[in-house]
Amino acid sequence: MPSPRTATYRAAVLEALFGEMQRDESVIVMGEDIGAAGGVFKQTEGLFAQFGAERVIDTPISEAGAFGIAVGAAMTGQRPVFEVMFGDFITLVMDQLVNQAAKISYMSAGQFHVPLVLRTAVGIGGNLGPQHSQSLHAWAVHIPGLKVVMPSTPADAKGLMAAAIRDDGPVIFFEDRMLYNMRDAVPEGDYVVPIGSADIKRTGRDLTLIATGRMAHVALAAAELLAKDDISAEVIDPRSLVPLDLDTLVASVKRTSRAIVADGGYRQYGVTGEIAAIVTEHAFDWLDAPVLRVGAADVPIPFSKSLEPLVLPDARRLAREAAALVRGFR
Amino acid sequence: MPTLDRRTSLSIFQRMLMIRHFEEAVIALYKQGRFASHYHLYIGQEATGSAVLETLSEKDLICTTHRNHGHIIGRGCDPNRAMAEILGRASGFNGGRSGTLHICDHSHGFLSTSAVVGGCAGLATGAGFGLKVRREPHVAVGFFGDGALEEGLVSESFNIAALWKLPVVYVCENNSAGAMGPQQGGYPTAITATDSFVRLPAAYGIHCLKVDGTDIAAVYAAASAAGQRCRGGDGPVFIEAFTTRWPGSSPLWPELATVTDLNDAWDPARISGPHADWSRHHDPVLRVARELVAGGHASRDELMARDNEARMRIAAAANFAIDSPMPAPASVGDHVFA
Amino acid sequence: MSTSMQAASASSVQSLPAAEEALRLLRGMQFIRSFEEQVRNLSSGGVIPGLVHLCAGQEAVAVGVCSLLRADDMIASNHRGHGHCLAKGADVTRLAAEVLGRRTGYGLGRGGSLHMFDAANGNLGTTGIVGGGVPLAAGAALSAKRRGRGQVAVSFFGDGALNQGLLFEVLNMASIWRLPVLFVCENNGFGEFTAIEDVTAGPDPLARGLTFGIASETVDGMDVLAVRAAAQRALARARERGGPSFLVCNTYRFGGHHVGDKQDYKDDADAKAWRLKDPIERFGGWLQHCGMANASAIAALKTEVDEAVRAAIELAKAAPLPAADDLELHLHA
Repeated sequence: MPSPRTATYRAAVLEALFGEMQRDESVIVMGEDIGAAGGVFKQTEGLFAQFGAERVIDTPISEAGAFGIAVGAAMTGQRPVFEVMFGDFITLVMDQLVNQAAKISYMSAGQFHVPLVLRTAVGIGGNLGPQHSQSLHAWAVHIPGLKVVMPSTPADAKGLMAAAIRDDGPVIFFEDRMLYNMRDAVPEGDYVVPIGSADIKRTGRDLTLIATGRMAHVALAAAELLAKDDISAEVIDPRSLVPLDLDTLVASVKRTSRAIVADGGYRQYGVTGEIAAIVTEHAFDWLDAPVLRVGAADVPIPFSKSLEPLVLPDARRLAREAAALVRGFR
Repeated sequence: MPTLDRRTSLSIFQRMLMIRHFEEAVIALYKQGRFASHYHLYIGQEATGSAVLETLSEKDLICTTHRNHGHIIGRGCDPNRAMAEILGRASGFNGGRSGTLHICDHSHGFLSTSAVVGGCAGLATGAGFGLKVRREPHVAVGFFGDGALEEGLVSESFNIAALWKLPVVYVCENNSAGAMGPQQGGYPTAITATDSFVRLPAAYGIHCLKVDGTDIAAVYAAASAAGQRCRGGDGPVFIEAFTTRWPGSSPLWPELATVTDLNDAWDPARISGPHADWSRHHDPVLRVARELVAGGHASRDELMARDNEARMRIAAAANFAIDSPMPAPASVGDHVFA
Repeated sequence: MSTSMQAASASSVQSLPAAEEALRLLRGMQFIRSFEEQVRNLSSGGVIPGLVHLCAGQEAVAVGVCSLLRADDMIASNHRGHGHCLAKGADVTRLAAEVLGRRTGYGLGRGGSLHMFDAANGNLGTTGIVGGGVPLAAGAALSAKRRGRGQVAVSFFGDGALNQGLLFEVLNMASIWRLPVLFVCENNGFGEFTAIEDVTAGPDPLARGLTFGIASETVDGMDVLAVRAAAQRALARARERGGPSFLVCNTYRFGGHHVGDKQDYKDDADAKAWRLKDPIERFGGWLQHCGMANASAIAALKTEVDEAVRAAIELAKAAPLPAADDLELHLHA
């Protein structure tokens, strides 16, 4: 049984890294400032001291080339965990990610696999401005061949990182840096959360809030507000976007007959659209209302303190939308 | 040894003073909680930017990076609006949307300021392309650090600029000297196999110059020559300017040991504190002040007066920024599309 | 005997192949030539889906390098990769089947000429992304370095890739980390339809490697012995001290960028001059000069190889196409 001790999200991911690197010689870590510096968010602290320069590799500011090297290394016996410092910078690795990593197993008819993890810190907060605040996971989920996970709790983060490393294909691990200091129960030792399993974070009767990453916490807070208003919301965190645990989502929506999907990426053509559509396809006859979508405003994330908070809906706004949905108003 | 006349030296020094005071004010405002975000200061590099900017005309174009305050203030852009931008106010150059990382002032020739490392090289090259196509006798200047040379985009930009003989001056501010490196909890230096950064642009046949980034006469001469070469249609120039890294930037967040006191220029025995060695030997503001007095271009009093003026101007800018309203929520979607 | 053959002999006397090895080199090049010629006919005849990019004329580079590689060494190729694949030991029937889009091909017929992988022979694949294979080879070299068994990786790319920023990033890292990788640029003077001079700035492509302190050489890419000698030096460096090398092999493709390319951009006189340097003709001439083979043996070899390729292609053509059930296989590990 897992023991009830707590750790931060950041520390939990680090635990998974330590564990996997101890367990499997072929696991290596690559990224910018992740070695002796321990990472700009201290997210790799201690790895370099323990495992040395051969397995904890500081790369130049050459994301495309370095990630391509990680792909080649993965094809030939290594299991790299490659960090892209800010989620906005996955733009720089897109060719190697989309045209190589995602497709090599398919193109080679299984002769080669690419067992790597691309981890990147996303999320709005701290006023870092338009080029350091995006969550572009909608690009990753769109590409066949990639698995995509987005843990919202320290325990999920640890378990999914372990699962991602053990997966024999490319897995993109989106972590929200605003969750790094979140503290919660984390099982000790070997702990794996299977990729493709959603988690019901709170049970409810009146509607289903499907919420990814940080939005899972916004949804939980909204559920508290709704409860005061006599509305019982079920909160589900998909945890994995690809593969998606459709069964859990659909079963819930069939029970509650209403759903809102909340995600931290830009709303237009975002992850919420896919989830809303696929849930509707499977649960249409059970739905009393269209599935609604909540995401970041479709603007570059502005720096100013008066504007940045407007971009992502907060618990109050989400609760308002949910209440309107349940009461039949729009 | 190149020398500068009185007017030019003082003009450059004036820019440097404004930058220094601005950057120190930024730290103070951060400590007061007036803005959040990572931020990157130009302390220690003022001589480079100021001397280069002194050679430019109004119509020349500039691209810079996350370390842009020095270029913005040195160029003569309104410090009120620059500070307002850092504080995220509506009156900022970017309407509070960009903050410290992307300040730009179109009216002074700045294009877009990229905080993605290497991005400015592409933009500067494009600016140069535009100038050439329109046959304008101006140059595009791209300021970036040594780390940018690791990005493939920069190499691609060099190739194209050289091939098409674009009027671009690439100013690489190599501030890696004195960086402690990650092992000691400081910034890493560039991770590169080359023994000299100029080899990279030289591989494309680009004309390269290396200068002491704290020597305003040398930087001015190099930048002038570069500008002339570009305007003459002979293609891009790469200038590598060396500075010793300001120790206050060692941790991830800038730390000011003490506010700059110009009296330290002519009385180095006064200098104390953790950054003393750097202040004594590598601070370009103190160095230039010393040289101006030694060279008979100005008296101490005159420089102190300018210093005071700059300090007050920046204080006014800080107050302007603090008093400026935040952007209205309704404006969040403005300018998303043309 | 041509001057460069003499030079090759003089500079690498100890490493000249004996007759048996020399004939293998000739056969290797002829195999590629025969394959490319027959594939060209198939393509012109509309039998091959999509485009193919042939390397006739460039055989000396693939063979010169790969003839020295171990079975457990690795290569990464580019869009003009049939020669690399064959030289690294690919089964010609499976290769042909893949080009023809048959289920028995290396990629179940789903990849085609541009996406052919051969793991058993350490071949990390051809790719249509210019420069795309360069980091893969460097990554394989990183793996090799960790394993410590002396393996090396070779990256084949064209002059078009010389201007990819990606190449720079990888050259830098290969040098810093002393990766056992050979960067082999097949400079055939054209990036698709554009001459190298029109798109490549700088005094010498070699400078790109030299910038990072990488041992770099320009090589006569039409001379299999010269390529082999340069590869020998590079491999020794990689295996012994673990550092990278950068070879710019000057060569020429007799065909167009792809089959069907009218080649209007080529200078006729230039093309004729390069034809005279045909690597197979020259090496055949050298073999005869050295008494390692006579004209009729060389002719017989060509006939035998042509027939072997023809038979393989017939087998490939007879194989089934992939079925609908094959669509999603191997999407994930």
